[in-house]
Amino acid sequence: MRRLIHFVREALANIRLNRTTTIIAVATTAFTLACFGVFLLLYLNLRAMATSLQSDFKVVVYVKDGTPPPGLSELQGLLKADPGVQALVYVSKEQALADFRAQFPEESHLLQGLGENPLPASFIVTLAPSRRSPDGVRRWAERFKSTPGVEQVQYSRDWIDNLTTVVGYLELAAVGIGTVLSAASITIIASTIRLTLYARRDEIDIMRLIGATAGFIKIPYLIEGAMLGVMGSAVSLVMLKGGFELFRARLGMPGRFLGIESGVHFFSGQVAVLILVAGLVLGFVGSLVSVLDLGRAKS
Amino acid sequence: MIQVFHVTKHYDRRPALTDVNLQIGKGEFVLLMGPSGAGKTTLLKLLYCATSLDEGQILIQGRNVARLKPSAVPYLRRTMGVVFQDFKLLPKKSVYENVALPLLVQGLSTFETRRKVMEALKAVGVDHRKESRPAMLSAGEQQRVCIARSIVNSPIILLADEPTGNMDAALASEIVELFKTINARGTTVLVATHNRQVIEQVGRRVVALDQGKVVSDEGKGL
Repeated sequence: MRRLIHFVREALANIRLNRTTTIIAVATTAFTLACFGVFLLLYLNLRAMATSLQSDFKVVVYVKDGTPPPGLSELQGLLKADPGVQALVYVSKEQALADFRAQFPEESHLLQGLGENPLPASFIVTLAPSRRSPDGVRRWAERFKSTPGVEQVQYSRDWIDNLTTVVGYLELAAVGIGTVLSAASITIIASTIRLTLYARRDEIDIMRLIGATAGFIKIPYLIEGAMLGVMGSAVSLVMLKGGFELFRARLGMPGRFLGIESGVHFFSGQVAVLILVAGLVLGFVGSLVSVLDLGRAKS
Repeated sequence: MIQVFHVTKHYDRRPALTDVNLQIGKGEFVLLMGPSGAGKTTLLKLLYCATSLDEGQILIQGRNVARLKPSAVPYLRRTMGVVFQDFKLLPKKSVYENVALPLLVQGLSTFETRRKVMEALKAVGVDHRKESRPAMLSAGEQQRVCIARSIVNSPIILLADEPTGNMDAALASEIVELFKTINARGTTVLVATHNRQVIEQVGRRVVALDQGKVVSDEGKGL
């Protein structure tokens, strides 16, 4: 315990000793992590959106006009029994018309001249998650297209698939950008710790001469690196939160984004903690890189 | 206690020590004498593993220092105290903290540390300055603090490199008396000096070095 207090006190003393370099290191780390954070925010929000769209994805099975009630029941039974169907909602012709009028009140006059309700009855099918892949949906639709009583099976998931592909690319880019920016953070913190080591080289020599082990000498610098990393990531989170709120206020979309109800969200508490931990790890690794040189120096 | 066999050390091909042989028994007080550049500091540095030898062997308490792993060096150093001419005190730490450092690295309890540090500070007569920073002390006081740090963990060997280097005669005499007291408690003391007054005051074994060679070894066994 006494040693731990000593290590933390030494780490804080190092930070105080090199106040300017500490500020520069924290600021640079914060900017670096913030760049990655912007990217991460974009990626997480698009992924959430893609997931939301995937779960909302519906297939519409239009019923042939004039299908008698027994045929309709048979079709409903077939759909219900299908293992690929998770949920099923029947929309009658009358319901379809009412929905159309409700959704497009200004265009409802278009139907007035037709006399008879031209809208078909339909089944809104929610497919089981295992059938929602592009191939799965296509195969399911092909199978039901030729079922008696079915006029058409309609689905439009091209853009959802495109979005999923983009999210996939973003994921790859996130790994790439994250790696590069992590290396940058490590380098910055390593340089800061090197400066500290240089400033305290006489003290380090004295510690060695009185019998301090390499570990005893290195630990305060590792703690210092970890502290710099955490401070950098905390500042980056503050910057990101500020920027995020500004962006949201500018676009005036507290709850919606690109028409999606889920809207845009800042990092969850869990992700924010992960970012802090990432900063801690980066700082620790940066410091480790520097103190390895110390280990190679003569005992 | 300390055995030096045919030790040779070069700095950039220039010989600092050549074929040095020396045996120092437990509880001895030995003065290493010689002009600047004679090799006194190099010999002490070899003993506390601050530099490596080129040829020969050095045994300290039966341990061959040339074969020690780097990770074992700190543990050997903990068995000895070293007094430097330039004191080597940590400027940002108080006298108390400086003296407590060797105990801190060994992981002693706070209670035990306080007891030992106060004992060491009293022994050298600077306990009243325990809160001061080294820069606030006189050269003599700083040297006393350095000595307190070197004896705080009750070392079996005390090495001192020109401990009275920049001191007047009265101060030097006080420091020598301190070493004599420490030696009287059973600690083996090896002091490198070129100060005649110190040699006369100690009146013990004197090993003279010149140009890296032992040129005389007087008073052995006294």
